[in-house]
Amino acid sequence: MNFIYSILTERMLSKRVVPLYVVLSMLMSFAGETSHAASIADVVEITVKGNVKDETGAAIPGANVLIKGTTNGTVTDSNGNYVIEVPSNESILVFSFIGYVTQEIPVNGSTVINVNLLQDAKLLEDVVIVGYGTQEKKDVTGAISTVKGSAIENLPVSSAQLSLQGRAAGVNIIRNGGAPGSGGEIRIRGIGTVNNASPLIIIDGVPAGGLSDVNPNDIESMEILKDASASAIYGTRAANGVVIVTTKRGKLGQGVRVNVNAYGGVSNRIKSIDVLDAKNLAMLKAERYTNDGLAVDPIWLDPQYQTQKTDWQKEVLGQGSTKNLDLSISGGGEKSTFSISGGKYDEQGLIRNSFFKRYSMRINSDHQISKKIKIGQSLQITSQSGTTPNTSSSQDGLIWSAIRFHPGLPVKNSDGTYSTNQISSQFGDINNPIFTIDTQDRQSTRTRILGSVNGDWEILPGLHAKANVAVDANFADSHEFNIQVLDQIRTSTQNSRSVSSSKAHSLLQEYFLSYNKKFGNHDVGIVAGYSQQTFDYADMGATKRNLDSEDPAQRYLNANGGTITNAFEGRSYDAFQSYFGRGTYSLSNKYMATVTFRADASSRFGPNNRWGYFPAFSLGWRVSEEPFFQPLTKAISNLKITGGYGELGNSNIPSLQYLSLMGGGARYSFGGNPVNGVSQTLIGNPNIAWERAVMTNIGLEAGLLQNQILITMAYFNKQTRDMLLSPPSLGSLGNAAVPFQNVGQMENKGFELEVSYRKTMGDFSYSLGGNATYIVNKVTELYNGAFLGSQLYGRSSSEISRTYVGQSVASFYGWKTNGLYQTQADIDGDTNIADDPRNLNGQIKPGDVKFLDLNGDHIIDDKDRTIIGNPTPKITYGFNAAAAYKNFDLGMFFLGAAKVDIYNADRMQGLDPTYPFNMYAETLNRWHGAGTSNSIPRMTTARDNLNHRTSDMFVESGAFFRLKNLTLGYSLSQNVIKSLHISRARFYVTGQNIFVITKYKGMDPELGIVDGNRQINVDYAQYPQSRTWTVGAQLSF
Amino acid sequence: MKRIIKITGSFLAIMMIFSQCSDDLLETTSYAQVTSQGFWRNGDDVVSAVNAIYEPLLQENYFGHYERTWDIQSDDMWRAGDHGEDQSIEFFTYDASNPKLIDTWKWRYEMISRANAVLINAPNVNMDAATKDRSLGEAYFLRGFSYWRHYLIHGEVPIFVEADILGGKLNKPKATKAEVEAQIESDFLKALDLLPASYQSDPDNLGRASKGTVYGFLTKFYVTTGQLQKGIDAGKHITENALYALAPNFNDNFLIATENNPEILFSMQYLRNWTMDNTPEIYTTPRPWGGWDFREPIQDLVDEFETGDPRLGYTVFKVGDMVDLGGDAGLTEYTADLSTSGYHFRKFSSWTDGGLNSDQNAPILRSSDVYLLVAEAKVRLSQNGDAELNAVRKRNGLADISGATMKEIIHERRVELAGENERQQDLLRWDKAGIIDIVSLYNKSRGPLKPARTFNRPKHYYFPIPQREIDLSNGVLEQNTFYK
Repeated sequence: MNFIYSILTERMLSKRVVPLYVVLSMLMSFAGETSHAASIADVVEITVKGNVKDETGAAIPGANVLIKGTTNGTVTDSNGNYVIEVPSNESILVFSFIGYVTQEIPVNGSTVINVNLLQDAKLLEDVVIVGYGTQEKKDVTGAISTVKGSAIENLPVSSAQLSLQGRAAGVNIIRNGGAPGSGGEIRIRGIGTVNNASPLIIIDGVPAGGLSDVNPNDIESMEILKDASASAIYGTRAANGVVIVTTKRGKLGQGVRVNVNAYGGVSNRIKSIDVLDAKNLAMLKAERYTNDGLAVDPIWLDPQYQTQKTDWQKEVLGQGSTKNLDLSISGGGEKSTFSISGGKYDEQGLIRNSFFKRYSMRINSDHQISKKIKIGQSLQITSQSGTTPNTSSSQDGLIWSAIRFHPGLPVKNSDGTYSTNQISSQFGDINNPIFTIDTQDRQSTRTRILGSVNGDWEILPGLHAKANVAVDANFADSHEFNIQVLDQIRTSTQNSRSVSSSKAHSLLQEYFLSYNKKFGNHDVGIVAGYSQQTFDYADMGATKRNLDSEDPAQRYLNANGGTITNAFEGRSYDAFQSYFGRGTYSLSNKYMATVTFRADASSRFGPNNRWGYFPAFSLGWRVSEEPFFQPLTKAISNLKITGGYGELGNSNIPSLQYLSLMGGGARYSFGGNPVNGVSQTLIGNPNIAWERAVMTNIGLEAGLLQNQILITMAYFNKQTRDMLLSPPSLGSLGNAAVPFQNVGQMENKGFELEVSYRKTMGDFSYSLGGNATYIVNKVTELYNGAFLGSQLYGRSSSEISRTYVGQSVASFYGWKTNGLYQTQADIDGDTNIADDPRNLNGQIKPGDVKFLDLNGDHIIDDKDRTIIGNPTPKITYGFNAAAAYKNFDLGMFFLGAAKVDIYNADRMQGLDPTYPFNMYAETLNRWHGAGTSNSIPRMTTARDNLNHRTSDMFVESGAFFRLKNLTLGYSLSQNVIKSLHISRARFYVTGQNIFVITKYKGMDPELGIVDGNRQINVDYAQYPQSRTWTVGAQLSF
Repeated sequence: MKRIIKITGSFLAIMMIFSQCSDDLLETTSYAQVTSQGFWRNGDDVVSAVNAIYEPLLQENYFGHYERTWDIQSDDMWRAGDHGEDQSIEFFTYDASNPKLIDTWKWRYEMISRANAVLINAPNVNMDAATKDRSLGEAYFLRGFSYWRHYLIHGEVPIFVEADILGGKLNKPKATKAEVEAQIESDFLKALDLLPASYQSDPDNLGRASKGTVYGFLTKFYVTTGQLQKGIDAGKHITENALYALAPNFNDNFLIATENNPEILFSMQYLRNWTMDNTPEIYTTPRPWGGWDFREPIQDLVDEFETGDPRLGYTVFKVGDMVDLGGDAGLTEYTADLSTSGYHFRKFSSWTDGGLNSDQNAPILRSSDVYLLVAEAKVRLSQNGDAELNAVRKRNGLADISGATMKEIIHERRVELAGENERQQDLLRWDKAGIIDIVSLYNKSRGPLKPARTFNRPKHYYFPIPQREIDLSNGVLEQNTFYK
């Protein structure tokens, strides 16, 4: 103990985290006391000692050694040695360690007992966290995937949800670019709804959301509840699945263990878009005019703009870095355990001035306060801050701008000023991207406190009364200062300061009974209880324009000058109230059944529609336990078939949709006097109610060759009914928000497969694991049989995505093409445009795109559009391989997607010569005479044929296969570190996004959602992911 | 077992005590927002609701820019800017999914919807009678104005009035042109009864619709629909009333200091740091001067001005003009590289220290327009329109014309109203009346920026109904004849 204190003192004081240190010491002394007290109480009779090693002969420090039938025990020291006093020769010692098969050895008069624990291949014995309890994996009849914390630790990503990608079948993470701190969206078994399709996230028993607040290294495991039977205990909030995050806790009798994790590294851009250099740009721009019979704008003939000066993508996408340091201390005595951790994560993006920082602290402890009563608590405190530039706009996104800014302009002129497109409107209305980066001043911060206390009173053997009370408080604020811009082409005549802050408080109370009992062959479990959760939210903010000074010290609302042009304060309240119950029954370990029910009320719905009822059941049959199966058990050691059915709910919509609301903010003025206008802002829908997901699941679990090979397969069918959506309304209703209505239906059907294999051969061990998911997403009903539109792209206001019945959500919608017209004769002979007025006017020329007339009227118009691509991957997969040889370990993780399309909108714009921007270098291969190109249209300033309208020319396969992570580690030998009092010391190198195999032409095939679920996989030149290399160390004491 | 039940019971009891009473728990409040049932309490609520009807006029996607885009079809300007859909509008190759159609359509109906809300609720509110009359008058006028804009652009549109809203009839077929005309006239006439004559003596309300506003639009409505005598009768209320007199100088209409002078019958009232972006100003200003460079005037328009007509200088920026850009920039020369055509409209811009001054209003209807409409109606009825025509010319120091024909009136309207979103509608009106041949007018090239274009008569008199509306109406809404 003293040793640890000294280490702590040194390390922690040097880090200047004194308050944390004080808390730590208090808790540690508490745990230490109890374990000390317990050992005095024991009756000393026989001393047994020995050591615990693994299959390879390496010492296992921290293994539990327990006297069977008692709670007395000890743990092995850093060399795997233990000493224990046992009361009699009849005592049996139980040796256990996580991930190893527990062994029981009778003392039988021995005073030295050495044990070799075998790695536990039988994951079946694992305990799976289910809602409001745990189940042994073999008894589970629902569809649950588990991702262990160890699989994702120390990956250089900001949030655990990013590292979930490819780890479990049926779980897809939609990345939203690579901006620091951007989390991505979790989709379980497809996109279940056009509105919010994110799963419910439970952190240590609290429905909390916000996985980015959890230090990934604090995570013990994540269970993903995928089907109705597993999720129904969370009823209304579970239609999109549930992710249960369990953080690390101390273990009884483990002693004290200290872990330090540190890594750091750099990230670089993976790819740039090849754009024209200054000379070729001028040449092609001039060619446009020549082709059109116009005089060439003189700026394109000016040699000073034909010298290549700047690679803007290189300037904008520099080098980033990632740093992480965390420290955890966990321990457990006889009656209490604790785990305390603190961490700092710091990510600087490729774009200067973009960053994400998180400070996190966690204190978990559990206490047996009397024979029958246990109390536990979890506390998570996180503070995060960050900023990202705008990279999502097709008007002035930063990377969009870097691709298009004139390459013949320097970053700065010789006089130190930023170069500007004010030289000529021929260069386009783009501000110098480096100017934008350098002058950006905005940041948002958030502090979150999530704390819970739970109690467990064992009323009778097997019958527990439990309570769980939690507070979740979020405090966020953001501020921004936009300077006056007069020297760039997109001017801001006034500077402005905007601030906003919000407070969110959620209170959770849950009370439930759980009962587990075996009656002969009958194994019965019951959970029943009550839950309520309230959400209070308040925000406020203001904007001031035209401040006198832009001095950083004067960028505040109180500074001199200017006018407050906007100030707001709002508040909202929501609540859930629920009753739930689950019964499990197992007969002879062979036949299992689970029945679940939840009744939920949500304030989001009107008084008459608040309650929803969500039943589910599932059945399981362990075929391998049947006598007739026994001859096969050598090959198939475990075989289980499960099936389930149930209903779940979704209420992820804005509040107050059942009310018609009037809102101010329609500002006008009369005679120079400001007046406020009030108009209807929301049309009420008094009938709004739950969205339902009806799910069927059929699963099969098999273990082959003594469970060296584990296979899980599942077929699922998820039907979303009464889908909540805000349907497009007739424009004749005006612009007031149309409320969500229960009008659509969606279907996700699919198949999942998870396979793992592990093998040990002397010093060498390896494991392989893979998972794959095949999903077909289809909208089966929409409002009035119409479609759902989405946002339009860019200057051309191109419509790209539409959601139609019978198609996948957010399908690409546009024209079909068949190459380019090579000659006038091609045009004259083309029946597609025989009656097209543009053709009759002679506006279509050789080198223009040949669009297909689908409705047979010989005119190309909006009626010729059709579905041209599917943005949701039908197949996603992940594959990992790990190997260890002596002190080395190697891990690789691959992921990929197939049968998916991307709409490369950035390329559509980048090939379009009618805009005053730089273009993709591909345009050098443009059509400029018969036979010169059949894919890249001619240079022109005219938009007669709209060659660059939404069409299949810009739909590309989004399939990719990526080596996501590669880690090579080296652990120092026990005999080396023994003298240092270190139980484990490992050093490693990790690479992230090492290579990708894809045909996709854009920067990155992993694109996110752009407009909710209504526009997906459209390339706006989003913030790209980076390739990151880190080196790290893991030390345990 | 009994014990279990007892324990369970007491546990549940404890649980109930800790958790809140269920009724309270799920009760929500619409903080900081009023429900539509809780609104309409007093005169202030009514005036706020009326203010909100005006607000869409300032929207970029409505009168701020989109609704002004239709004028790029005329021979006064070329589209410029970088909106992909504009070329098809200018070249008459647009289709029903052109994005400018749906946005303007929705905003017109939003104004109608806000007006209907006032017309339904205000009559039951206990409030000052004069204010109530004015408010109802404004609602009628603004609804009529919205149908008027619908009528000009689409011809036939569905009509929604109070009874449709109360009866939940929100998906209706198109009304005929005659029905739309009747609705416009009825709304304007009701407004006329209720509105005050003018706000020149009530400066806090300058910019609200007055009797003058309505007479102006009635004149335009009657002349457009060929009811020429009615047009003259309505127009006289403007030409013969000093409350709506022409400003002493043409340019007064485009200066912030005098932007609410009596000649301004209706305008978009912008206020710096309060109302939304001043898009009429931003869109027409050269890029390096803080704008977005749309709708550039072309040489053909400039050539139309008589020598010595001072309006040319107030209407366009041309090479060599010195313009005060305020702040550090100060007096700055307008150079050729600022524009493709060599010109920009200058009616909508002014500058203050360091940038565009967004206090600048943009006129929608001026008395001089009404003067010229009266002159036109008279000439078309073979009466003498010289008085009204010469009133407009005289203000600009130009010689009187006697025995004016449509030729002189067409000329005068073009130079007086250039850039104010009138030219294309004028040409359409004259073509429909057989006064000009728009097909041959447009079939003539006016330089590389304005090549010959094919106008299909009568198809291009009106735009199609936005395709999205046809799709969503489930067969109720029928596309305009020539766009099926």
